[in-house]
Amino acid sequence: MSSASDTGILELSGIRFSYSGGSAFVDNLGFRIGEGEFIGLLGANGSGKSTILKIAAGILTPSAGEVSLWNKPLHAYNNKDRAKLLCYLPQSLDMTIPFTVSELVGMGLYPYDIAPEMSVDDALDLVGLRDKAQSRISDLSGGERRRAFVAMTLIQGAGIFLLDEPLANLDIRYQIELVKLLRDLRTARKITVVMALHDINIALQFEKVILIKKGTIIGQGRPEDILTEENISEAFGVQVKIMRHPDGKAYISYAENFS
Amino acid sequence: MLNIYTIRKQAALILSICGAILLFSTLSSAEVPRRLISLAPNITEILFALGVQDRVVGVSSFCDFPEEAKRKPKVGGMSNPSIEAVISLRPDLVLFSIDGNPKEFEERVRGMHIKTFTLRTKQIAELPEGIRQIGAAVGARQRAEELALDIERKISSLEQGRRARHALAKRQKVLFIIWPDPLIVAGPRSITDDALRLLGVENIAGDTVSTYPKYSIEEILRRAPDIIFIGKGNGMDRVSDSLLGRLKNVPAVRNGKVFYVSDYLYRLGPRTIKGVEELAGHLDAR
Amino acid sequence: MKNITLRIGIVLVLLAVVFLASVVAGPRMINPFTADPISREILFSIRAPRSIVALLMGMALGASGAVLQGILRNPLADPYILGISSGASLSAALGILGGLSIFGSFTIPVFAFIGALFTGGIVGVMGWKRGGIWPERLLLAGVGLSFLFSSLLMLMMTISSDEGLRKAMLWIFGDLSMSDWSRIPYGLFFIAGGIALSAMRARALNALILGDEFAYSLGFSPHRERGMLFVSVGLLTAASVSLGGMIGFIGLLVPHMMRFFIGSDSRGLILSSALGGGILLCLADLISRTIMPPMELPAGIITAIIGSPYFLYLLRKKNVLGV
Repeated sequence: MSSASDTGILELSGIRFSYSGGSAFVDNLGFRIGEGEFIGLLGANGSGKSTILKIAAGILTPSAGEVSLWNKPLHAYNNKDRAKLLCYLPQSLDMTIPFTVSELVGMGLYPYDIAPEMSVDDALDLVGLRDKAQSRISDLSGGERRRAFVAMTLIQGAGIFLLDEPLANLDIRYQIELVKLLRDLRTARKITVVMALHDINIALQFEKVILIKKGTIIGQGRPEDILTEENISEAFGVQVKIMRHPDGKAYISYAENFS
Repeated sequence: MLNIYTIRKQAALILSICGAILLFSTLSSAEVPRRLISLAPNITEILFALGVQDRVVGVSSFCDFPEEAKRKPKVGGMSNPSIEAVISLRPDLVLFSIDGNPKEFEERVRGMHIKTFTLRTKQIAELPEGIRQIGAAVGARQRAEELALDIERKISSLEQGRRARHALAKRQKVLFIIWPDPLIVAGPRSITDDALRLLGVENIAGDTVSTYPKYSIEEILRRAPDIIFIGKGNGMDRVSDSLLGRLKNVPAVRNGKVFYVSDYLYRLGPRTIKGVEELAGHLDAR
Repeated sequence: MKNITLRIGIVLVLLAVVFLASVVAGPRMINPFTADPISREILFSIRAPRSIVALLMGMALGASGAVLQGILRNPLADPYILGISSGASLSAALGILGGLSIFGSFTIPVFAFIGALFTGGIVGVMGWKRGGIWPERLLLAGVGLSFLFSSLLMLMMTISSDEGLRKAMLWIFGDLSMSDWSRIPYGLFFIAGGIALSAMRARALNALILGDEFAYSLGFSPHRERGMLFVSVGLLTAASVSLGGMIGFIGLLVPHMMRFFIGSDSRGLILSSALGGGILLCLADLISRTIMPPMELPAGIITAIIGSPYFLYLLRKKNVLGV
């Protein structure tokens, strides 16, 4: 695959989408994701983050506009080929599924007919669940369950990761570790990540963010340019303060809203 | 001072006086019940045979013989008759069978101050007595006596045939099939089993627990019945084909001793004896 | 995975043992090598086909239970929940009442099969919305139709005085006694086909159990896969009802037992539930015809009596349902 970062490997243009019978939830939305990008998708609850990710993954079909993957319409791929290029991890994870951790993670290999580079054990090592391989998913804690699903996504080996709030249920340590893990993979395997998330402090560590409000993009670009006090106030309806460490890194504070 | 004994004594006295009055009034009332309801098909048949059909104002939905019985107002099934339907027909007497009618329903009807009669006959030998009882209850003693005597005569002539059959070297083994698929046969305590005993042949299903058991096909092969009777029913011959195909090596099938017989034996009534005679005719045919 | 292969091997051996026992044992033991002609006839034209039918039916019920619990994502689902069996019963009853004996001794099985497929079709159509079959709609449509059809059947039984209908309906409530070789070829065809189809889609079933979005992300088309699996459940259930009526318990509980023994991976579960269902029904039928000879008891009662205590034990001891 030749470098396509100038044109974008995943591109949404003129997207219009409405849930059954309603008015347009997403209208004339478009953005382009280049190879190897690491993008945070931010917005208030109900702003359309999940919907946009599902449209990008092909789970929801827009009524107008087009999603293209490597310059080819997404719907033109067959299921297996698409699964090798693009994976999607939903936000809500069913806790009643009957599988063990290693059975679940092994399912990431389904798109492939030949043995992969990464084994189930490798993937479990990466998310720190090796010792839980034979546990049932239903017996895990929320964070462990999240990591097990991430391991399945990792083993699927697609180049593009669309992750809907993968940091939910994780404690700070695993939030940081997961973000670092994905970054390392990006270096090693040139993966592209689009991740919906809530924590603005973590988003500030990303290279690129897309800020959403009511199905439209307020802004996209470097976090320090996009996550301004005005933009955040517009997107979330709260007043925050952007602070700076002596070393220059930005962080956000909203403690004053509580007083 | 009243002690417990005197109270009891007095109560007993009062009760027996009441009982005597009740008995007297029953005996003395020359009036016969004018409006009868029969809740069992065999009772309906007996009532018709006693010539009181005009007084029958209601029957169960299972009462289909004789033809005229079908035109009588229906009061519901045997196990679930409608109390409203029964009452609205203003009966003087409701006739129950111990076999098939719920006891609670009889109690309810009695609770409505309607006279009831319960037929307790379960075997062919008891049938004449049952008919006499019904005759007494509906005021048709004469006809009942004639019918009962006729049945008794026939039973005793059937018993002679049994003695003759017992004189044969080998007792014939018989299977009576009620329904071929799934295979339901006449087992112990059924009227059919009683009939086979009366005929002096062995019912190979006579040793089961249930009255109408689901029977094992491989046991038929082993017990090798000499004669198979199949109760007639809707399209019975066609349904039985595959069963008989599987029993082709059983003596009865091999020797052409498979007979489709009427359903007279399913009810203990005036036709039952005819059903027994029909079986006897097949047994003795050479 | 090696472990699972070994365990499926154990189940297979158990199946062979139970099958042989069910042919050799019965109201009386028969030694196949020293059998007289009558015993030989009993062995080959009564017990052998009957045991094979029991095996096939049990396999169909076990496998379709495992698949259905997966596609409906409901551990309480069993093959009869979709109303397929009530449709089969109703259709068989209509056939009998209509006096249609065009298929001879096959009348009831053929009508049951047609009724089952027809009902499966209606449930599928009712479950269909926006380009796919939805599990919840499927389940509710099945439950609704099931109630409708069973009440229609009850109505027919109540107002009909046809004794034949009542007797014939005994068959629909589970009867293996009339099994002979003639029913085996078509049973084998549909049941082997149904099990093969669902076993081939076992990965997709695993993915569907995770949820439609996961299934999609893993490279499956959820609606198409669910449709195919539903067709195989329909075929399996229809074939089993038409072979010997309704036998409860197996489709609901055998998959749970096997989940404990083999694991939840559908690739092993479908196959082992089929084998387990075959074992259980074969064993139950053996008991049902042996315990009170010459009378036979309904096999469905025996499956529940021998299966339920074991299942309850598992439920107490182990984490069977995954919750």
